[in-house]
Amino acid sequence: MKKLMQILFLSCLKATEFIEKKLNHKLSFKEKIQLKVHKSMCQACSNYEKQSKLIDKVMSETKIENVNKEDIISLKKSIVQKIAEK
Amino acid sequence: MSELNLTKWVNDYTEDMLSWALFKVSDSELAKDLVQDTFLVAAEKISTFKGKSSPKTWLFSILNFKIIDHYRAKKKMPFAFDGDEVISMFFNENGEWKKNKAPHEWQIDDTHLLDDKEFNEVLKLCMDLLPEKWNSCVKLKYILGKSGKQICEQMDISKNNYWQMIHRAKLSLRECIESKWYKN
Repeated sequence: MKKLMQILFLSCLKATEFIEKKLNHKLSFKEKIQLKVHKSMCQACSNYEKQSKLIDKVMSETKIENVNKEDIISLKKSIVQKIAEK
Repeated sequence: MSELNLTKWVNDYTEDMLSWALFKVSDSELAKDLVQDTFLVAAEKISTFKGKSSPKTWLFSILNFKIIDHYRAKKKMPFAFDGDEVISMFFNENGEWKKNKAPHEWQIDDTHLLDDKEFNEVLKLCMDLLPEKWNSCVKLKYILGKSGKQICEQMDISKNNYWQMIHRAKLSLRECIESKWYKN
């Protein structure tokens, strides 16, 4: 059965690749069907897709930390001081 | 070149350097240390700076070395895998999930996760544990919202390479989050 699955269907490795491709781009018709069939039989990859989507969503809302002006001023001071000490 | 120049450069470039360092490492204290170390190295080596490149380019090249050093030093940490290691970490030779690596269901309320401070902290931490290139790739894509094409150009990588990086980075991130956040 496992052997048959490998020939007819996707491996989990391939399925996770397809999931990433699907999230970022588009799958071909054949790829869509293959992924659907795979997920219907594989809870781990279904979990992966859900979580991967979630991670994308949270990452897209993450902002890079802003540096505030005071921090920059104090950093400059400390650098100049350290250089002078050398 | 003298100390006078250096003081001027500290004034002129600290902000840009800090923004860049923060982009590369996310941790603000660490980013500040890297910028400071860069200037200390610059102070030592200023006699070798002949002005062939702009001071800014010169300082950034030192900073980039510092950043690479930082990533090298933490390479031995868990989750910081590179290249094909990741694939064999998660999948057996048939491409099936290894037993202890198969994603478990997360019993969580998705709707509140975006505001979950702890989850966000873990995600950031996990992003910073990625190898340097993957980290940049992921940040360019998700945080700065660049397109795949732009990222390929900026990082000078092929489209295939880009997809591979995203795939591997996501596998690592998911695993890192599951072990650091969900299992806690």
